[in-house]
Amino acid sequence: MKHHRTRREFLKEMGLAASVLPFLGNLNSLALPGKPKKKQRLVILFSPDGVVPWNFWPDATGANFAFKESLSPLEPFKNRTLVLKGVSDKVRGDGDNHMRGIGCLLTGIELFPGNVQGGGDTPAGWSSGNSIDQEIKTFLQSDPSTRTRFGSLEFGVMVPDHADTWTRMSYSGPNHPVAPIDDPYQMFSKLYGQVQDQEMMKSVLDDLKGDLAKVRSQVSVSDRKILDEHTALVRDMEQDIRTARTSDVGHAVPVVEPGVRRENDNIPKITKLQMDLMISSFIGDAARVATFQFTNSVGQARMTWLGISEGQHDLSHEPDGNKAAQDKLTKINQWYCTQLAYLAKRLAETPEPDGQGSLLDNTLILWTNELGQGNTHTLEDIPFVMVGNGLGFQMGQALDFKHVPHNRLLLTIAHGFGHRIQRFGNPDYCAAGPLPILS
Amino acid sequence: MGLLRAIAWVSVSVLPLAVAVTMPAAQGAKPNEGPALFQQKCAPCHGPNGQGGAGYSKPLAGKLTKVAMAAFIHKSMPPGGPVTTPTQAAKIASFAYDSFYSPIAQARIAPPRVELARLTVTQFKNAVTDLISGFHSAIPGNGTHGIHGEYFKGRSRDSKNEAFQRTDPNIDFDFGTGAPNDKDFDPRNFSISWQGSVLAPDTGEYEFSIHSRHSCQLWVNDTQYPTVDGEVRSAGDPDPSGAVTLLGGRAYTIRMVFTKATQGVDDADKKNKKPSGPSYVSLRWRRPNHVEEAIPTQFLFPDPASKSYVDTTPFPPDDRSTGYDRGDSVSREWDDAVTSAAISAATYTAKNLEEVTHVADNDKNRTDDLKVFCSDFLTRAFRRPLTPDIRSVYIDKQFQSVSNLNEAVKRVVFLGLKSPRFLYREISAKPHDPYFVASQLSFGLWDTIPDPELEQAAAKGNLATTDQVEAQADRMTHDNRAWSKLRQFLLFWLKVDEVPDILKNPKVYPSFDATVASDLRTSLELYLQNTAWDQDANYRDLMLSPDEFLNGRLAQLYGVALPANAPFQSIQLDPDKRAGVLTNPYLLSRFAYLDTSSPIHRGVLIVRNLLGRILNPPPQNFIPLAAAAHPNLTTRERVSLQTKPQFCTNCHGIINPLGFTLEEFDAIGKVRTSENGKLVDCSGTYRDKSGTLVKFTGAKDLANYLADSDDAHDAFVTKLFLNVAKQPPLAYGPQTLPNLERSFSANRYSIRSLLVNMVTTTAMLPLATGKGG
Repeated sequence: MKHHRTRREFLKEMGLAASVLPFLGNLNSLALPGKPKKKQRLVILFSPDGVVPWNFWPDATGANFAFKESLSPLEPFKNRTLVLKGVSDKVRGDGDNHMRGIGCLLTGIELFPGNVQGGGDTPAGWSSGNSIDQEIKTFLQSDPSTRTRFGSLEFGVMVPDHADTWTRMSYSGPNHPVAPIDDPYQMFSKLYGQVQDQEMMKSVLDDLKGDLAKVRSQVSVSDRKILDEHTALVRDMEQDIRTARTSDVGHAVPVVEPGVRRENDNIPKITKLQMDLMISSFIGDAARVATFQFTNSVGQARMTWLGISEGQHDLSHEPDGNKAAQDKLTKINQWYCTQLAYLAKRLAETPEPDGQGSLLDNTLILWTNELGQGNTHTLEDIPFVMVGNGLGFQMGQALDFKHVPHNRLLLTIAHGFGHRIQRFGNPDYCAAGPLPILS
Repeated sequence: MGLLRAIAWVSVSVLPLAVAVTMPAAQGAKPNEGPALFQQKCAPCHGPNGQGGAGYSKPLAGKLTKVAMAAFIHKSMPPGGPVTTPTQAAKIASFAYDSFYSPIAQARIAPPRVELARLTVTQFKNAVTDLISGFHSAIPGNGTHGIHGEYFKGRSRDSKNEAFQRTDPNIDFDFGTGAPNDKDFDPRNFSISWQGSVLAPDTGEYEFSIHSRHSCQLWVNDTQYPTVDGEVRSAGDPDPSGAVTLLGGRAYTIRMVFTKATQGVDDADKKNKKPSGPSYVSLRWRRPNHVEEAIPTQFLFPDPASKSYVDTTPFPPDDRSTGYDRGDSVSREWDDAVTSAAISAATYTAKNLEEVTHVADNDKNRTDDLKVFCSDFLTRAFRRPLTPDIRSVYIDKQFQSVSNLNEAVKRVVFLGLKSPRFLYREISAKPHDPYFVASQLSFGLWDTIPDPELEQAAAKGNLATTDQVEAQADRMTHDNRAWSKLRQFLLFWLKVDEVPDILKNPKVYPSFDATVASDLRTSLELYLQNTAWDQDANYRDLMLSPDEFLNGRLAQLYGVALPANAPFQSIQLDPDKRAGVLTNPYLLSRFAYLDTSSPIHRGVLIVRNLLGRILNPPPQNFIPLAAAAHPNLTTRERVSLQTKPQFCTNCHGIINPLGFTLEEFDAIGKVRTSENGKLVDCSGTYRDKSGTLVKFTGAKDLANYLADSDDAHDAFVTKLFLNVAKQPPLAYGPQTLPNLERSFSANRYSIRSLLVNMVTTTAMLPLATGKGG
């Protein structure tokens, strides 16, 4: 429900205040003389249940490496890709590896002890700290030159409608999980609801004025004063809508294919709808940080469109020796990589509204996972694959850091935004500082 | 019967409405009678009809009594001129009063009329809820209290796991290291689910919380998203809580689950069983004007209610300066709030189309059926059948504008709620129009649109006779919606509707804290319910009943023997001293300072609200004399000292003698017989409208007077009428108040009967001129 303390807030909420430009975004940088500040974005993609390591990691390190099957969809973006092996989740504490896999992944800190029991280990609660996406969001929102309407957007696909330690990877603070929106219509409404409402108001106000005039003629002369005042207010509202610049969002309001039901077999369609909305939100500069969560930790997507009928989590428990299962798991991860490639392609083909290159030039996508591998539940060699030039990392190579704590990668991302924190998450794992990948 | 009424009765039956009064003076009146005296002594300055003249331009009209007028004329008129003798002054006053000065005379000359008014904020929000969610009974089931609990032997709330069901008085348990009982449960693994509904007495924000260390969730008025989500718990986290805005006077479905066991993987069968830890669970709320407490039984019902869409848009407050909330003006802020609320309701409808319209998504004739919904919706919103024009603009045109049906219905709802036919009271109404009658009843008694039974009565022509209308009104006065509106009135009338924190000096009243203040407010609410709403609710009980409601905590403070954790119960508190609502301890605490009583505040309440007299505010902000600066004076003496000057006595001569009658009650409304070493003097007086001086000694005398006083009855009837109808009583004819007062008396001051008569009057009487011409 909307809340308005004052008329000004109401106008802002309705997108009518001339001073609010949620869609044309922050053009301050254009107005300033000299070199405008470079726009930077972070997108974090999550898929569950680990990978098949021998079909995932490149054999060589350095600039001359070859993609294995899981990562082959990234071939067109090889010189803008960075594959990081040897970055491990060293955080321990309560919860089993799946819970800690997703709960400590973006936070780098332990879960609270709590009442949620996993497959083993002690029961845990929520994370005891915030996640890197929310950290960056807060950092960007605190500076007027990088502030956006939402700061961050949390997308999901088939996320179980249940808040627990397996379904949340993003935290705005200790005990404060952030829920992803896995319904593209809800996301559309969040981004464009205002505009839609304005369109509706514009077109019905004439009917309203017409009826007000009719009604006015039916009441006594002494009673017309209040109706005249009311009519004047309706005319004012009409004027506000007409002059509001925000009704022209500067780009085509996306048309979201209606009637796509939230079900397993629609995962590809929903993914595309959500990713297209993410592109729109970047064009309109509604946010500079986005997370994208496929299902949840222990996710059970059944990729029927690949001819796979088993759930991913079940398959991920099959031993290395079950070649059929490992082949299927490889295809599953390759499918996730295809989605990453689609996102990268759309970003690459979309120019920045202010003319400074393409969206991909200013965005870093980080694709990651809760586990190194599903059947061992190892938290070593967490998959980290980055695409895009947004943070100035040395792209176009594969690296192996040989078991450094992943807190250092989280620090590196922060430093990439100019947020030079010395620690993120558990400080014990931050001592050696950011990874040497900044150029 | 007062002189006023006798004269009013006679003169109105002689003179028709809206006819200029011909002055008897012009027809050669006797020289020493009122009319001639007025022409000779007063007309040169005031004009022959008191309408204003060379010396004084303002028309002579006001609210002084004849006696007061005469005294004033004798003392002060003409200024600097020859004295008017008391006899002459009395004759002049009598003439002027009846011819043009009094409100009745003014009504004859320029009759007030029923003015076009918009819905008040309360009416708007109630109407929106009843439109979107449909009309449902305010309280589900048969009104028995409690909440329905299902107890399970493990985590799973499958029916085969069920141990038993029962109705619990409320949810406030400490199981220790055990379980609900020893025989049915493993104390390490059990769960409970509760279902029912909770009554929101006032409109506002309710903060629900669950006091427990274990997994717990609460759904209020929503089956999908929990209002309070404590399913996952972390060590050291606070009690889970969540806030929700609720409309007062209705019950809302609640469902709560509690699990003593871990979530996630079921480890109940683990071989190394740990010892059972302690567990407790309490469902608590903080409701408007109260502190947090476990939700008491009196607000819980074991049956679920229907879902209610509640608009939460903040609205600018309605004008209440004339003593009741009314919609006599519009503003930018109001229009913005209406737009925002209309968008919210329309968006909700589009998003929950099947739930709101009852048209299935896969309905074969979906478009037609949705149009039928729209037609019903607008008929109910506009409170009358649709004309073809309205149908064409509001429905057909909208369905033609967009192809998506959700969008079309959204437009209809938005346009309907923005329409003047919804926002203004009975725009196309004519007297005796049955739809007009239905609306007068529903807004008058319930502050909302007519319910289906009223709608059908209107459609069938069964709202034509007074008997039929009274029968409907009577039905409606037994519904909780009527109590909700009456309760709002009573709290406003007694000036306790919006109360700042009641703070007392901790040195003098060490146990008077926020919890006590909250309990006292509950005790007043129970008192009002008992005297003004129970089966034989009547005004005299409200003025005289000695039955207060105390719980253990209050009992201790006010000197009654009850166990410390005793629930609220009816007690005759100080029956030799107390009588009626004026001696309720919450009221007395409210009109008092940190450690001294305030006879002035108490007196003003009585003068303005119980006796209906006009009092201007003080000419400037006076700071009360500090009690510490006059340690040898009682409060009475100190107040008398401060209000001694001549220019104070005009008002304080009326206020103080009434406030002093309550001096036997201290700053927290507790009985005292002495103050600062002197015996309390609780004598007092009041000169009523007919000039009679009444004397009292103490609160019981005062209460007895108020119970039977014409002035007090007048005040109550007038103020209640304004609150119910939101139009001036004289707009319905000069006999409106006298008739209501007569039947009030004849019905032994029954409040329900009074309400029935009031709304029937507004529904059935021809309206004063102005409407339609």
